[in-house]
Amino acid sequence: MVRYYLSGNEAIAEGAIRAGCRYYAGYPITPSSEIMERISVRFNEIGGVFIQMEDEIASIGSVIGASWAGAKAMTATSGPGFTLMQETVGYAAMTETPLVVVDVQRAGPGMGQATRVASGDIMQAKWGSSGDYQVIALCPWSVQEAYEQTIKAFNLAEKYRVPVLLLTEEAIGHLRERIDIMKDIELFNRKKKAGAAPFGTKERDGVPPMPTFGEGEKLLVTASTHDSYGFRKTDDPLIHDRLVSRLNEKIINNREKIIDYEKYYLEDAKVVVISYGFTARSSLFTVEAMREEGEKIGMLRLKTLWPFPDGLTRDIGARAKVIFVPEMNKGQVAGEVRKYASCQVVSFTQTNGEVIYPDTIIEQLRRHL
Amino acid sequence: MAPIKQVILCGFGGQGIVLAGTILSQAAFNDGKWVSGTNSYGAAARGGGCRAEVVISDKPIIFPYVIAADMLIAMYQTAYNKYIARVKPNEGVIIYDEQFTPEETKGLKYVGIPATKTAIEELNKGIAANVVILSAAVEMTGIVTKKSLKSAIEEIIPERLRELNLKAMDIGFRIGKMKSDQIH
Amino acid sequence: MPRDMEQYLRPGLTSTTFCPGCGHGILMGLIFRAIDELKLNMDEMLFVSGIGCAGWIPSPHFNADTLHTLHGRAIPAATGAKMFNPKLTVMVISGDGDLADIGGNHLIHAARRNMDLTVICASNMVYGMTGGQVCSTTPAGAFTRTTAQGNPYRPFDLCKLVVAAGATYAARYSVTQPFALKASIKKALQINGFCFIEVLSPCPTQFGRHNQLDTPVGTIKYLMDKCITKKRAKNLSPEELKNKIITGEFTNGAD
Repeated sequence: MVRYYLSGNEAIAEGAIRAGCRYYAGYPITPSSEIMERISVRFNEIGGVFIQMEDEIASIGSVIGASWAGAKAMTATSGPGFTLMQETVGYAAMTETPLVVVDVQRAGPGMGQATRVASGDIMQAKWGSSGDYQVIALCPWSVQEAYEQTIKAFNLAEKYRVPVLLLTEEAIGHLRERIDIMKDIELFNRKKKAGAAPFGTKERDGVPPMPTFGEGEKLLVTASTHDSYGFRKTDDPLIHDRLVSRLNEKIINNREKIIDYEKYYLEDAKVVVISYGFTARSSLFTVEAMREEGEKIGMLRLKTLWPFPDGLTRDIGARAKVIFVPEMNKGQVAGEVRKYASCQVVSFTQTNGEVIYPDTIIEQLRRHL
Repeated sequence: MAPIKQVILCGFGGQGIVLAGTILSQAAFNDGKWVSGTNSYGAAARGGGCRAEVVISDKPIIFPYVIAADMLIAMYQTAYNKYIARVKPNEGVIIYDEQFTPEETKGLKYVGIPATKTAIEELNKGIAANVVILSAAVEMTGIVTKKSLKSAIEEIIPERLRELNLKAMDIGFRIGKMKSDQIH
Repeated sequence: MPRDMEQYLRPGLTSTTFCPGCGHGILMGLIFRAIDELKLNMDEMLFVSGIGCAGWIPSPHFNADTLHTLHGRAIPAATGAKMFNPKLTVMVISGDGDLADIGGNHLIHAARRNMDLTVICASNMVYGMTGGQVCSTTPAGAFTRTTAQGNPYRPFDLCKLVVAAGATYAARYSVTQPFALKASIKKALQINGFCFIEVLSPCPTQFGRHNQLDTPVGTIKYLMDKCITKKRAKNLSPEELKNKIITGEFTNGAD
């Protein structure tokens, strides 16, 4: 184990390298640029391919090409750039291209406050591109977890052949903390099988093997509706339905394996705070303080935002009296919680470009207890 | 030392506030502490308000921002005015650059450091005032060890500016020693 | 397509989707002949295309790795593949709307970086697949589905554009000049750096029928009449050059 003192953005760059990322394309945008800056220096040392492209569309576009050329590939951005990338996120979902996009969220909409924090892109991450598709979105609450989840993002992208989004926030990207880096970390590489259909499978996980350009597989990669060998089938209803269903089901049916969370004091909790990202730190601070005062309060911390932990939310909603969801947006996750929880759900939203302090959460909780 | 120490450094963009905060937090890390460092800044790299926060603890830190500051290092009047309300009442220490004279809040302790003045006079570099005032604060409060402060400067500052900053550190230690009986 | 070129076609395909009179099939055959004469191994090649009729030239027809990208994004994807695996010979084949309009910024920047790609822009001077709307390469005055009174704007000179941006090789030929065009494709495949060929290809269906060029023969004749070589252009007056398209090499790596 080695101990470092790093910012969240630096830890994401290091996590990517540790995961085996050797292709990075990006475009400068606050508050994510430190990821690209560090990668550009570190790739010189370790022999990765770095390129600063002309915009975010080109950045993620080149990540598509690199991924099919065999790279574990990544880009990072913030809200407005994330929006520009959405069409290609849909392309990656349809072509089952593994890639990682980091969104260091800042206060939007529009240009908003470039140096200030928010978690306003949760729904954009889920619904930003056209049609029905699934992504995986992770959300770290510390520099340590920014490192670990970046590695996990690559593992999941490779395993499920899906775009994985690391939805972090300015407050984590620019936070400096100490992190411990373990020697043994499990890494996953995409399945390969010469001659097998690259866009269809009878395997239960629903994930076909993925060949690489230059292996003589004569690949046909297209985001038009295609059969299992990539031939365009743009007017066959059955093939379209079968493809779209598999793309969704390979994530939804595996969600128990994908979804990660942490429970705090939930055994006897009547009041449950559901929290994620930076805000979960304020929430835990509050929950521990109130526990000391004897309140039956607990917390669920979401480490995976998409696919959403529907079953878990349903279980908690069946036992709790009230669920409290504090967020740096206008209630994006609270809405999701309301879909599944049968109890009262209270949404606290703060969109002033500042993190939510524990005393704000305490004040809000007291109002509803 | 209390289990958790919370520090705010503030000034205007270009004074090296963020850098001073990074050095302080790196020094705490080198001391083997749990530490978190955060910054707040505007879109402009020069001018405008700027703050850095450092939380140092013997245990893991749940909330990484300053809730009530034990120490405020202020390098500019408007920044001081903005952050004085976040200092722990009746306990907090304010270390300010003597470029300005703060309106004092009752119950808090104050000490002025001629940081910019000395950096210009002795180093011909006003820009080194951040390390002067930080080093004086370290000398007076022992919030991190002097040894770790030095190693942090050596790790963070690029080689061509290292000597200048180490000189600024020594000046800060000297002023800190002189001023430690003047905390009022 | 002669039998000996069939090895370059993906097995199982019976016909192309191109309209009668479309020039893209001629271009496809010439690319195969260039590859064949250079004895390149298709397994070491990658063909990247965008959206539009020309995007269908390599995908699915070429018996090699193909990447059919989003509209306008063929060049970024080709850049990523080439950067990560420089051993791949990467050719981009797409249309004028895809490469010059929606993807124009990528074209400029790939030329500036002198990215080692061969980019073939099949230009039919119109948006074919979407039904015949005006394009940045549509001649001034031409009628399209969105310029009922004639195109009010000048067309792009794409070769000048990429030369200014730093391309190593830039040429323009019409499919009515097959031998020169094939030689140009061969040259571009052999030169390191950014190589760009604008290929004029007739579109009787969407361009011709709005411009009194109703038959395939009419659009071929139109191109033959409009295109003149650099050599011939030298001796013509500006008045005679009006409405002509000059073909030839505009920079060839040796300049």
